[in-house]
Amino acid sequence: MSAAHSHERSGTLIESHRGYDPRLWVFYGLAVVLLCTLGGGLFYQQLMRADLHREKETVQSQRRIVVPGPRGNLYDRDGRLLVGNRPRFAATLHLDELRADFRREFLRIRRNYREADDQNIPSSAELERIARVSIVKGHLATINRILGTKYTVNSDTLERHYRQQRILPYLLLEDIPPADYAKLLEQLPVTSPLQLYTSSLRDYPHITLAAHTLGYVAADDDVVVDETLPGAELRTFKMRGTVGRQGLEAALDARLQGQSGGAIYRVDPAGYRLQPPLEQRRPVQGADVVTSLDLDLQLAAERTMTEIGLAGAAVALDVATGEVLVLASKPDYDLNAFTPRLSAAVNADIQTRGAWMNRATQGLYPPGSTFKILTAIAGLRAGQIRPDSSVECTGAYQVGGRVFVCNNHRDRGTITFPMALEKSCNTFFYEYGLKTGIDALAAEARRFGLDRPTGIGLPYEASRMFVPDPAWKLARRDEKWFPGDTANVSIGQGDLALTPLQMACFIASFARGETLTPPTLLHDSARPRLHTPEIGLTLAGRAAMLAGMEAVSQTGTGRILQTPSYRVPGLRIAGKTGTAQKRTPEGTLNFAWFIGFAPAENPQIAIAVMMEGDTPGEDTGGGRYAAPVAGAIFKAWAAKTGFIGTTPPTPSVTP
Amino acid sequence: MRFDQARPFFTLGVILLAWLLLPAVVKRFVRLSFYELKAPVDIAASYAGDLQDFWSQKTRTNNELISAARDLAAINASYELRIREDNRLRTEISRLEELLRLPSYGEFRSEPARVVRRDFNAWWQRIIIRKGRNHGILAGSPVIYSGGLAGRVVEVHATTSVVELISSPGLRLAAVFDGDDRPVSFQGGVNPPLRPAQGLLEFVPLDLFATAASPRALVTSGLGGVFPPGLTVGQVVQLDASTDGLFKTGRVQIDDRLGRLTEVTVLVPLDPSVVTPADAAP
Repeated sequence: MSAAHSHERSGTLIESHRGYDPRLWVFYGLAVVLLCTLGGGLFYQQLMRADLHREKETVQSQRRIVVPGPRGNLYDRDGRLLVGNRPRFAATLHLDELRADFRREFLRIRRNYREADDQNIPSSAELERIARVSIVKGHLATINRILGTKYTVNSDTLERHYRQQRILPYLLLEDIPPADYAKLLEQLPVTSPLQLYTSSLRDYPHITLAAHTLGYVAADDDVVVDETLPGAELRTFKMRGTVGRQGLEAALDARLQGQSGGAIYRVDPAGYRLQPPLEQRRPVQGADVVTSLDLDLQLAAERTMTEIGLAGAAVALDVATGEVLVLASKPDYDLNAFTPRLSAAVNADIQTRGAWMNRATQGLYPPGSTFKILTAIAGLRAGQIRPDSSVECTGAYQVGGRVFVCNNHRDRGTITFPMALEKSCNTFFYEYGLKTGIDALAAEARRFGLDRPTGIGLPYEASRMFVPDPAWKLARRDEKWFPGDTANVSIGQGDLALTPLQMACFIASFARGETLTPPTLLHDSARPRLHTPEIGLTLAGRAAMLAGMEAVSQTGTGRILQTPSYRVPGLRIAGKTGTAQKRTPEGTLNFAWFIGFAPAENPQIAIAVMMEGDTPGEDTGGGRYAAPVAGAIFKAWAAKTGFIGTTPPTPSVTP
Repeated sequence: MRFDQARPFFTLGVILLAWLLLPAVVKRFVRLSFYELKAPVDIAASYAGDLQDFWSQKTRTNNELISAARDLAAINASYELRIREDNRLRTEISRLEELLRLPSYGEFRSEPARVVRRDFNAWWQRIIIRKGRNHGILAGSPVIYSGGLAGRVVEVHATTSVVELISSPGLRLAAVFDGDDRPVSFQGGVNPPLRPAQGLLEFVPLDLFATAASPRALVTSGLGGVFPPGLTVGQVVQLDASTDGLFKTGRVQIDDRLGRLTEVTVLVPLDPSVVTPADAAP
């Protein structure tokens, strides 16, 4: 009985430990589900999201430093350097190599406070800041000892750098002269945290030469990072670069910009970089550009403009290709003053002198008598002017109720067409301008592209030029067009406003017997000769014009070109002077013009010069103030090309 | 029993631990003391080497010695001539400096010194010379040899000094191309021992050229304030434009004789401040 009883109990116990209790399956199931969840989560996180975690780890622990590439150089058409780069030496301090020093200095300062039982002990953060300044001061003292200088640490700059950019070297001293650089190079230990850093600075060896054309650069904190540079996803610190702001520096910025280089560093949790870099790539200099400018001609033009001492502009073009040989504007500025940054004083000085404007491409001026060439073309093409046309000049010409004067010459009586050009006779052009009509004049001007920008590619080229006609006057001023307006336009006065570059293109086109000259500042030795629509003058018409224009430089208003200073034996120059007036509140200002080309028999170089009169009421004539600049350019061109005249110059016009 | 077996390791561990825990000042003192203690051994070995050379010379025949003496006399004569020429040039330079009111370079006192041995601690790019503090040697002094600039004194002990050779990456100086006046950076390269040494050039202006076929001499600039001008550093045998377009980098072949120096001259400045800036001798 008891045995049976014990068996029964025993069986119950065994049964209870066999695990067959169905309730346990619930826990087993739960455990399996939890384990599966855990395993699945692990699988998901470790395998499926491995890339994401790797990326996060990378982003958190790596930093990228981008160093801009130096800009490309600009050369003149003969390969002479116009704009380059010069090294800029600086002393930098790698803060990451000073961590232990910072810590030791912090402990020392804190100990001193405690030993002195000073109740006003600064906070830990403040003590750390003091320690950093103290250590950096010590390194600067080393430099001061070597150079015999007394530089001081700017604690605010240091702290800002430490907080925001501690991965980058701290700039301790910049623009170190080569002699001091040599001393530091020799006397600073190779392994010092103090290192010499070299960056590039834009260098303009000719200082003010072609200042507006070459342009300048400004500091750029947002350097364009080369797409092929790895680490785009990383937090990136950029060293300061430059960006073109004016002239060719701005127009060709994309080509001149160098390819940025850089390095990727692993950083510790405090943000200090760990050496060596994981990846490093040196920056590459931007592409060099050969401009069409001719250094010798540009120098000759600017030297003469400076001697004259007036504001103005000079443009010279290669007649066959439209390449710009000279593009000068005065007053100008020292391009080196823009790097590393333009000071407020220099900025104010440029502003005061009115030197910001590129008068060659941005200045809109009435063309004065130089426009008579276009009036002549329009008259010839309209059949109103013939090579043998003439007028009786009395010095006054009545249009409606208004008397227009001709004070450009003293020859009263019959004035032939070539003589009208030579003497710049207003009466002739009043007469034939009115006969030709404003519509034909305006159409001719538009045919030569004088109503639109030349498209030279320089920034801020004037775009508000216009050729006035009845429709324009009605739309602009709601006024009727009068014959007097036509008379004014015929001699390049009134509302007409053009840039010197436009006039240079115009005269270059005329020299080729064509209507358009798209100018370019890029040199291409294989550039083909331009071919644009022909003017459509008869041979006799063109010959009469050339005779008159050649006489301008021989015996006419531009005869200064025959003085010893500017005369080139055998060089036949066809040109036209002009003196335009502009009314200002202070009085009437004159603008002196000269446009022309040479050699007259085989045009190769075309020039337009405009000089602004600076004194109201003063006679600033084109022959006296503008022609000399053109003469200097012609002379430099002849000397450079070894021009030897084959045809002796002879006055072509007789009264 | 098992402790007895481990006792040497235990003792070593205790010594190492004690060394680690010693204050830095004590460690430095011990190191310097050991160096000074060991210095006579090095010097004795150097003298023994000289004696060995002496006895090896004794084995030469009279004819050989007479011939060597004649050669030596010829060399001495040429040196006499050079000294006279140098004196003339020195006078001329002083006259011109006075005329142009130029500052005079620091004056140096020559201190010839025998080379004890090359220091393998610095991958053989340092030498130990047999002159030290007792002979007035100053840390930072330039050291020259027959081939030009040898290096710079970096450590001075009582009877010996350590010279960092120009072939060491730890030495950097402002040099110029012979005939040019623009400073370039010269630094010793990573040179394996017992091979012709080379140096690296940086910040070379783009208009300077040199190739192995047409090398150019590199000399000290005198601008750095440590080395007098005109001492030959080596021959520039390669120049490559760097990608940034600002400068060229290059390679300098250093005279082979630098690898077998036996005698050098220390140029000790009469004005110690010329060569003892804060970090002259790290």
